[in-house]
Amino acid sequence: MKPRLTSNSSQDAEAGVRSYSLSHALFFGLIAAVIYYIAYEITAPNTPLPRARYGSIGGPEYIAWLIALLFPVLIFYKGADYSKVKFSFSWSFLSIISYIYVPMILLLRIPGLPRAVAILLSSLLAASFLYSADEFWRNFKASRAVGIKTPFSKRVRTALFRLDALLIVFITLGTTILVVFLLVPVVLILLNAFTPPVGEPFYANFKRVFTARKYVSLFRFATEKPWTFVTSETGYKTLVITGVNHGILLNSLINSVIVTTVATLLGVLVAFVLARYRFPGKGVIRLLAVVPLFVTPFVNSYAVRLLFGAQGPISWVTERLFGFDVEIRALAGVTIAQIMAFYPIVYLNAYAGFLGVDPTLEEQAENLGAKGFRLFRTVTLPLALPGIAAGSIIVFIFSLEDLGAPIVFQEQRLMSYKIYQTFTTEIGTTLPEAAALAFVMLALAVVGFLAIKSYVGLRSYAMVAKGGRWKSRERKLGPVGLILVYFLLLPLIIWTMMPQLTVIMMALNMTPANAFKPSLEGATLKYFLSLFKNPDVFIYVKNTVTYALTAVVFAVVISIMVAYSVSRGRIRVLSQTLDALGTIPLAIPGLVVALGYFYFFHRLFTGTALDPLSGPTTFQAWVVLITAYTIRKMPFVLRSVYAGLQQVHENLEEAAMNLGATRRRTVFGIVLPLIITYLVSGAVVGFIYVSTEVSTSITIGGLRPDQAPMTFYMMDVFQGGHLEGIQIAAAMGLLLILIQLAAILLIVVGLKQSYAFIGA
Amino acid sequence: MTRIRLENVTKVFGPVVAVDHVSLDIESGEFFTIIGPSGCGKSTTLRVIAGFEVPEEGHVYFDDVDVTFKKPYERNTAMVFQNYALWPHMTVFENVAYGLRLRKFSEDEIRRRVKEVLEMVGLEGLENRYPLQLSGGQQQRVALARALVVEPQVLLLDEPLSNLDAKMRVEMREELKNLQRRLNITTVYVTHDQIEALSLSDRIAVMNKGKILQVGKPDELYFRPATLFVADFLGRSNILDGEVIEVLEPHKVLVRVPDLGADIVASTYNMIRGRVKIVVRPEGIQTAGFDVIENVFDAEVENVMFLGDKLEVRLRVGGASMIAYMPNTMRLAKGDKVKIHIPPDRIVALQV
Ligand SMILES: Nc1ncnc2c1ncn2[C@@H]1O[C@H](COP(=O)(O)OP(=O)(O)OP(=O)(O)O)[C@@H](O)[C@H]1O
Ligand SMILES: [Mg+2]
Repeated sequence: MKPRLTSNSSQDAEAGVRSYSLSHALFFGLIAAVIYYIAYEITAPNTPLPRARYGSIGGPEYIAWLIALLFPVLIFYKGADYSKVKFSFSWSFLSIISYIYVPMILLLRIPGLPRAVAILLSSLLAASFLYSADEFWRNFKASRAVGIKTPFSKRVRTALFRLDALLIVFITLGTTILVVFLLVPVVLILLNAFTPPVGEPFYANFKRVFTARKYVSLFRFATEKPWTFVTSETGYKTLVITGVNHGILLNSLINSVIVTTVATLLGVLVAFVLARYRFPGKGVIRLLAVVPLFVTPFVNSYAVRLLFGAQGPISWVTERLFGFDVEIRALAGVTIAQIMAFYPIVYLNAYAGFLGVDPTLEEQAENLGAKGFRLFRTVTLPLALPGIAAGSIIVFIFSLEDLGAPIVFQEQRLMSYKIYQTFTTEIGTTLPEAAALAFVMLALAVVGFLAIKSYVGLRSYAMVAKGGRWKSRERKLGPVGLILVYFLLLPLIIWTMMPQLTVIMMALNMTPANAFKPSLEGATLKYFLSLFKNPDVFIYVKNTVTYALTAVVFAVVISIMVAYSVSRGRIRVLSQTLDALGTIPLAIPGLVVALGYFYFFHRLFTGTALDPLSGPTTFQAWVVLITAYTIRKMPFVLRSVYAGLQQVHENLEEAAMNLGATRRRTVFGIVLPLIITYLVSGAVVGFIYVSTEVSTSITIGGLRPDQAPMTFYMMDVFQGGHLEGIQIAAAMGLLLILIQLAAILLIVVGLKQSYAFIGA
Repeated sequence: MTRIRLENVTKVFGPVVAVDHVSLDIESGEFFTIIGPSGCGKSTTLRVIAGFEVPEEGHVYFDDVDVTFKKPYERNTAMVFQNYALWPHMTVFENVAYGLRLRKFSEDEIRRRVKEVLEMVGLEGLENRYPLQLSGGQQQRVALARALVVEPQVLLLDEPLSNLDAKMRVEMREELKNLQRRLNITTVYVTHDQIEALSLSDRIAVMNKGKILQVGKPDELYFRPATLFVADFLGRSNILDGEVIEVLEPHKVLVRVPDLGADIVASTYNMIRGRVKIVVRPEGIQTAGFDVIENVFDAEVENVMFLGDKLEVRLRVGGASMIAYMPNTMRLAKGDKVKIHIPPDRIVALQV
């Protein structure tokens, strides 16, 4: 039987070819891994083995490796459909991960479960490798089959003709800026990550991150329970939910996976109901559902802590029903706070996805007899999936890099918190362990991002986020559905917007700073006005606004250069590189940026005022902050500029050049005026993202507090623990909410553009 | 007044050879049309002339000046795009004035010239409208005015009429022709509409799969197609298999056509022998008078369609089924027997 490699798997499957699916390969890989793991545990119970044993050839380990590697090959030749590796999101995610993970485990000679997992993943690695090799081979043959062969020199000549002075400036300047301010910092992190403590091998930091009990611990200590009942002296019983602890690395993964999964399910559910059903009050619910998107760093998580605290509404209910309070702490708190804050990102993307599904496609399927859940599963969902997947991966990255919830819940056993902590406590050293951790975090985020890009990019659905071009199909909701909507969905949505409401109430002193007790008695604008009246506080507001304005101007300029070169440059390699460079900051966790910039300015500007270690009175933090903001938030501006350029047909530019306009005149006289609304909305979105930025603000800003932005102050309140500041922090949160509200109104009402701008 | 010469031009997009070793000579002042099916490389050829694409091979000359590597804005061509490419944020006046502004004319001069050209295309009084407030035909005229106002050396038109409705298309066709005659400007016109091509052009090039198959005057192409593709593409044709059995005169051959069960006399313009195809235009089939003996066949009417100005009749002639146009006054019905005659000069034999 010949290998089957076409992408059209379903058709081929029906053609009678026996298809071993990828899950077979995984299943056998899993069995191999389990056998290996049991054998390993029996022979060497939990003690590090002498190195000699790993160096020698032979032994059960190598046999297990061999089996795991041979399985995919075997099944490949029996006709397995490896194209799935390339065409399904989760598979490509796993296989990209395995590209990094497997060699790393192998290289670092890490024993135990990590190694067993590596064996499991290796079958996937082999699968995707075989697939790529085959793809490459076929492309190679196809390209040889084409009749005409143009000499390379002529191809270069033709390519160069496409360039003119302006494009050359755009491309070189854009690339240089992105390489210098994006790649160099990341490379510096890598260099530091591979700087081991004296006398240890070069990978020592990574080995520690992957093996030390602090980072990876598979077994729970008996004292660490996910929840406990605590009884106070006064006899109050409280159920304290803390969540699990499996070490920093695994905690982060567990948290992000749970947050992403729950947020995706929730977001898709809400989106589906709102996109496909009609019921009274739908408009209001749609508006309420996006409230959690208003970003108010720290205070938001603090509000969640209160809501789920011993004096929150939940406890009020449980106390009356069961006689005890409920309190959520640590990892459990982080998870819940993140779910509540991030699920609307999936909701918005999924909503656009559902609206983007051409109703005639569904009608066609119904015509052929598909109904209900089957219709949803086989037609609607696959068509909306790219949008949903894009939303999910953003949630994954946001959750991984989030610092607000961990700081507020004092959960120090997370990657983000650990990096931050090392940064603040060990400042002055080169922080190699933080660098290694940051690099792992970066790898996870980038892998997820690349997976989604290859997945969404490969599908030619191209309907992502273009919702509302046709009248979507809405059905009336039956009585059961109505009950579910009003008694389940509505309370859920109201509950998820509670944090924002609480922040506003705290800012106006309508609830005390340490409990959730709404009352109108103490209502005052005092705290909000102090943002502008109190010079000690106003400085933060002023810093935020000036930095954000400046960064946004830079971001718009760079975005124009990048977007224009990518969409009009027409030299494939250059455009693709630039495109990747321009979008990848989306996938770079904020702390990685912060750490990268720390190294960047510390190493390249040693001894000058730009060196972060030059002291809290000389260090010019604003330069570093604005640079970091510009690069980090540029993708959001870039996205808008891309969208604008897509609206400008290339003929419009050609017509101008045809009449004698140079490229410069065409760009400035025709293109930019045509996309001005997109530039403005890009700038506005950029402004929001910059003004709510946390990671760089609190790390780099923390080195020069008087040049720090608002988010630094908000963090300081919770780190320092002074109660007075909470209301002011909440007032800052309110100010940020107002800014975001104004921005959205400007974009939606003023510029008449879609507000679904959060997401890929 | 510019001559355009393409020499061996080849343009490749990845695996697609969009233009394949095309050589063309376009006389100055000529109305030259490139026609061919969708995707055959017409637009690409035009874009090579305008300078939007640079060919992998070959050269482009304007009056013996090699412009192959000149940027679009360094060639004095003016193009009318299929989608008109009017700038939506500028008024009609601003659109038309753009090229003049680039050429640094004084404001007065610009106003005068724009007014003149708008009058020429019949758009007086619409100066302050925006393109989206105009009808398709009006937009098309603005695009034309914008191209003409700069007095280009070469006018390039890429299917300018394809977005208009049928009636509008006929009107604009005539206007375009008159305008071009009056200005006497070298014009390259791209279309896939044969009526447009035949009625407008001084000469036509038929293109397929990136290659030029035949260049000639409209009637030449119609009556004396050089390849089967040209015969099939321009006008309708009945095509039958045959075999040359005798060369009668330099341009006359005797062809045995098994489907007709007879030998017929056909015209040819190349050296042909062996297996051939014969091409008969529907209007070349006549009802036979009594004075001819050559190429006369018995036919049976299979179907009659009334087209208004003529009848389209499907005839069974021996083993072949052929389409013929008959005068609309004829009374024919299915099953009628007729005698038909095909004059030898209306039958073209082509080497397969
Ligand atoms: N920028 C491009 N990149 C890749 N392929 C292209 C490009 N432009 C044209 N082609 C390909 O070159 C071939 C010729 O295209 P061209 O636009 O010249 O055809 P055309 O004759 O104008 O067709 P139509 O009548 O549909 O406009 C087509 O196969 C097309 O897909
Ligand atoms: Mg075309």
